[in-house]
Amino acid sequence: MTKYRSGLFKSLIPSHFKRSHLNIVITVLVIIVFGTIPFYIDVDNSFFAYYLFICFCYIALSQGWNLVAGYTGQISLGGHAFFALGAYTTAIIWLNDLTKTWYYFDPVVMVISGLVPVIFAIIIGTPLLSRLRGDYFSFGTLAAAEVLRIVILKGGSFTQGAMGLRLPASSFSSMYPYYWTGFLLAIFATATVYLITRSRIGLALRALNEDETSAASHGVQILFYKIFAFAVSAFLAGVCGSLFAYYLFIVSPLGIMNLNWMFYPILICVLGGNGTIAGPIIGAFVVGAIFSYGDVFVGQIHPMITGILIILVMKFMPTGIMGLKDKIFTRR
Amino acid sequence: MDVITQVVINGILLGTMYGIAAIGLSLIFGTMRIVFIAQGAVIVFFGYLCYWLFSLLGIDPYLSLIIVIPVALLLGTAFYYVLFKEAAALKDRIGSLLIAVGLMFFLENFMTVVWSPNPRAVVTSYGFVVFHLLGLNLTLTRLIGLLLALLATLGVFLFLNKTLIGTAVRATSEDVEASTLMGINPNRVNAVAMAIGIGLSAVAGINLATTYSFDPVYGFDIAIKALVALTLGGIGTMYGALLGGIFIGIIETMGSYYVGAGWAQAIVFAVFLLTLTLRPYGIFGRSSQKA
Amino acid sequence: MANQLLEVKGVDVSYGDIQVLWDVSLQVEEGTIVALVGANGAGKTTLLKTISGLLRVRKGEILFSGENLHNLKPQEIVDRGVIHVPEGRRLFASLTVKENLRLGAYIPRTRPFFAESLERVFSLFPVLKNRKDQKAGTLSGGEQQMLAIGRAVMAHPKLVMLDEPSLGLSPILVKTIFELIRTLNEQKITILLVEQNVNQALKIAHQAYVLKNGKIVMCGKGCDLLTNEEIIKAYIGERATKRKG
Repeated sequence: MTKYRSGLFKSLIPSHFKRSHLNIVITVLVIIVFGTIPFYIDVDNSFFAYYLFICFCYIALSQGWNLVAGYTGQISLGGHAFFALGAYTTAIIWLNDLTKTWYYFDPVVMVISGLVPVIFAIIIGTPLLSRLRGDYFSFGTLAAAEVLRIVILKGGSFTQGAMGLRLPASSFSSMYPYYWTGFLLAIFATATVYLITRSRIGLALRALNEDETSAASHGVQILFYKIFAFAVSAFLAGVCGSLFAYYLFIVSPLGIMNLNWMFYPILICVLGGNGTIAGPIIGAFVVGAIFSYGDVFVGQIHPMITGILIILVMKFMPTGIMGLKDKIFTRR
Repeated sequence: MDVITQVVINGILLGTMYGIAAIGLSLIFGTMRIVFIAQGAVIVFFGYLCYWLFSLLGIDPYLSLIIVIPVALLLGTAFYYVLFKEAAALKDRIGSLLIAVGLMFFLENFMTVVWSPNPRAVVTSYGFVVFHLLGLNLTLTRLIGLLLALLATLGVFLFLNKTLIGTAVRATSEDVEASTLMGINPNRVNAVAMAIGIGLSAVAGINLATTYSFDPVYGFDIAIKALVALTLGGIGTMYGALLGGIFIGIIETMGSYYVGAGWAQAIVFAVFLLTLTLRPYGIFGRSSQKA
Repeated sequence: MANQLLEVKGVDVSYGDIQVLWDVSLQVEEGTIVALVGANGAGKTTLLKTISGLLRVRKGEILFSGENLHNLKPQEIVDRGVIHVPEGRRLFASLTVKENLRLGAYIPRTRPFFAESLERVFSLFPVLKNRKDQKAGTLSGGEQQMLAIGRAVMAHPKLVMLDEPSLGLSPILVKTIFELIRTLNEQKITILLVEQNVNQALKIAHQAYVLKNGKIVMCGKGCDLLTNEEIIKAYIGERATKRKG
């Protein structure tokens, strides 16, 4: 399946710059650029800032999905479940005053919102990852997510069913905390995935993924690492869901368990280029642009346009943007 | 006792709709390894087509099959050559799934724009005729629906087993490389498989339109259940897909009766997950089947 | 100089970025049996797959009766009469024996000969006739190999490329299969035989090539190579040559 290539970016310049130095320079530049944007753009009134916020969320979701795809070799179709669990956890804790803290952007709540999906990931992931292969696994994750959707719909006063939970919108004061939290989340997600891929766990999993026979003899250990990857993606999605709950102030199945939250990260990873750390980032910015600006300009027929766009991208750029870059800059 | 039998019968009838959708998915997946998640949206599309022909031109829904089926076959062929040919050749699983998603988004939105999000149904004057058989109530529409589904299944079965191209389709589902070495053109086979898959969707769509009310987003629900049916039955077996569909139909109607419609869905998926844990390749699947 | 039915000229083949064949050249004379031997992973299957069109050449040419083969699609190559019987048989297990054979004659060119070819196959392999409605997956190893070869015969072939026909078969069956190969050759079918069972392969081959790590390292008459010391040491083993037959 997708294989991780070491190094943050495929080298653009086939010259004497050391690739690792270039990577560090680019990373620092990117962080500086996005970190300082709020200082010269009025984040509260800027659609561009909203767009960036959405992109940061997509980055967190996509890095998580990419991690699972790369390390379990399986395509998870249940990402929206983790996202929803995070959002609902935040909403439920807040509305029921469970932690007796200040709630709005409460880091404790956000972390808990990340951990609840982890529990779900472990419960669902253990049987699915250990027993199911390929498409069976994918359908299993999809079905599990749908079960969750129905549980939410039937959750009575706890989840308020189809109507969803409303959070006190009066808490909203400005977009700045959203931007920063999103930004930090994106960095955190990228760093986490990067570190995992570089760690012994990552290297071991990669090697074992490619050699099935030796994998069999290390069975239990691999399962643990796969569940670990699955859980990490769940955590990232959960925190992202929590952030979005703070943003929308309404947590409902239609908005939060929307399949888009599952498909977009996949599209982003594929568009950006599977198996790279930079791919989901680039993909997120491109897809984010298409969907958020698309919504503005094309409105009602927006899904039709995006549907066509997805088809066009997959037909003509199946290796994604990073793959395209490879083709252009191949030194042959 | 009577009521339960009635519920089961309704489940079987519902299930055949899922079943033929699943057979279509099975053909498409078997030959091209494409998870055609747009199947549900396509079914609903044909439902709308049937509705449109009925309300605008007064064409009886069952007679409209004469128009709709050839359209479906052509559409299926077009889908393959325009959308999926490259992804099938590259065996690009995610890519083909995403293309199917794109198609699904497009179709759902298209239908919403053209036909509005309000639910529709096709109601014929004779549709409500009820037959009383062995103490059961069977509406004519459901009976015809069952008949159509069975005929369609029979047709596909005969095609796959008695024609040369059908045999080639089966062979390609099993081993693409080996079939290529026989001189079988994978594109032709894939296009045929997709055409039949869409053709089956047309039949399911007519069934849907005449039996239930539907709206543009109903398709995803059908698609998931068809996928579940296919997986439960065991990927790669035609009868498995049909039986899987019927099984799901029965669970759904029984669940609806005992626990209520909402939970019935959850039960369907929960049963699915449970079955997979116990039999990771589906009820009829063989471990030699590559997923 | 007799007719070179198949000519492979300086062919390079890669799987993605990994090159597996380097400058491979070989000729198959019409009416002969040519053996291609080598260890596991040497690239023999890759070469056959390239000839049959499943893989593309990076460099070089493949000619069949003087016509370019390397830029044709697999179906077109089958249409020219080049049939590849793949490694491991690759039968359609869920299809019956008869259906498998039917697919062997899928190409329109072969269909007029269908009845005749079927008779030919059944007379070559009577056991297949007995099992014609059985699913191919239920046949024994030897029967499966016969079916695989029979399928090739159905295609009214000029050249049959066999990839490891002896794989997984008992010594008696191996002998039977090789006798069948000889019979086919006597019936004017040219054979390109890829084998790990070097001993048997060299015994029936008129010409042989040795492939090592993607390169042709030796070629010559089958009987010559059989007595070649290097070959014996590398592939056959001292004791085997002392055994009869």
